[in-house]
Amino acid sequence: MKIIQKKIVGLSALAFLSFAAFAQDDMLSLLDSKDGKKTHEKTIATFKDPKIINAQTTETVKKGTMNFSITHRFGNIGVKSNGGVHSLYGLDNTADIRLGFDFGITDKLTLGFGRSKQNELVDGSVKYRILSQSIDNHVPFSLALFGEMGYNPQLPLQFYSGMAENPDFKQKPEQRLSYTAQMILARKFGWRFSMELLPSYVHRNFVIANVNPNNGAKEMNDFYGIGAGARFKIVQRVAIIVDYFYILSDYRMNNTSKAFFSPLGLGIELDTGGHIFHLTFTNSAGIVENNFLPNTTDDWLKGGFKFGFNISRVFNLGHKNVVKS
Amino acid sequence: MKKIIIPVIGALLSTSAFAQIYIAKSCEISFFSKTPVEDIAAVNKAAKPLLNIVTGDLQMKIVMTAFVFEKPLMQEHFNENYVESEKFPNAFFKGKINEKIDYTKDGEYKVTATGKLTIHGIEKERTIEGMLTVDKTTITLKSTFKVMFADHGVVIPGLYSGVIPPDTEVKINAILEPYKKS
Repeated sequence: MKIIQKKIVGLSALAFLSFAAFAQDDMLSLLDSKDGKKTHEKTIATFKDPKIINAQTTETVKKGTMNFSITHRFGNIGVKSNGGVHSLYGLDNTADIRLGFDFGITDKLTLGFGRSKQNELVDGSVKYRILSQSIDNHVPFSLALFGEMGYNPQLPLQFYSGMAENPDFKQKPEQRLSYTAQMILARKFGWRFSMELLPSYVHRNFVIANVNPNNGAKEMNDFYGIGAGARFKIVQRVAIIVDYFYILSDYRMNNTSKAFFSPLGLGIELDTGGHIFHLTFTNSAGIVENNFLPNTTDDWLKGGFKFGFNISRVFNLGHKNVVKS
Repeated sequence: MKKIIIPVIGALLSTSAFAQIYIAKSCEISFFSKTPVEDIAAVNKAAKPLLNIVTGDLQMKIVMTAFVFEKPLMQEHFNENYVESEKFPNAFFKGKINEKIDYTKDGEYKVTATGKLTIHGIEKERTIEGMLTVDKTTITLKSTFKVMFADHGVVIPGLYSGVIPPDTEVKINAILEPYKKS
């Protein structure tokens, strides 16, 4: 009897103790046991803008908002590339200007259009975010698909310039279309650093059948490329940005009649709260993929890089989250 | 025999300790700052405050990313640049209600709760006033109080130092019911 009594006393003391500990400590642990499942919070702002410099990012425009962007590339800075003091280091010239409008249809789907100076290109684009990285690494990276279609409305004289005489050739409107498809894989490594990779594919319905005299490779309608981009936050709201594309095209390899280069951009990103500013240097003249992937012909090493900027602003279109109780 | 019975009753009581815990069935935490440009307002409906009516312990965990703003961009700025939600995903209040309340009687009571408020990873000892209403099996907690950004190391950039006020008004309205072990 005595032993049993002791045991009971011991047990009940234990029960009391555990209760006491529980009462003092953390009632919040009840939340975990009650909610059970984890939420896998998504990372915030892997990138700040739908674009780095040349490269698209996994960022989409949020539902019910529109991102308006003004992008400008001045002329080449270096003397060897028509820059120098007589063009005020390129500021007198304009390589490209683009006005872009991107609409957030849902938080994951963005539809955009824009118009560039280069090739007078009118572009329409779709971006869909398939995966969003989660803070707890349940989803280790973000993934988006990007598709762009461009229409070149230039006068025939310009559009077909450089083409050999061919009486059988017929001009058709569909020749003016070009396409880019990209898969964007991005990861945010802590609050400071984000990186992405962009396997890319470009198709142009019409190309002038030039040949690379160095290796005999013909200009092709299709080619692939791979891009990489990164953002490094120096402090809150200020980041260094960089992106690069390597283009897989025999025609563009050591072409002695027309030199091609890999687009490389470096810049600073400023987030003022309302606007995102990019101050950039890049050797690419074009702003949209269909222009800069096939047509980057300036060499960083010969001063063939341009100062440029991008200003993005998000506007709300009617839709507002309700915050009043 | 009595010696046995008392501890056993005690043990039985302690196993039903959950009966003294109340948990929010609904809770709205909102904050509001007026600026000359636009109002900064957000609401969070995901928190579940917990109250122990015997000890007076009041605790809550607030998931920062669950604050919904009118403009999604403002929400992103709030999380990325101000409260840094990836580093500090939750805010906490862990404290005690100072007054002794008779929870068996319906009525409205003015109460104060003293404890630690943690936002942006920085703790601050606070005593917060509020109203507590007992209505049969539900307890309603209401409070309006100020949070100074500087108290919690939330930095307003120089560009906005004259625009965004140094504090914000937080409102909380929670309806609690007895915790059921699921």
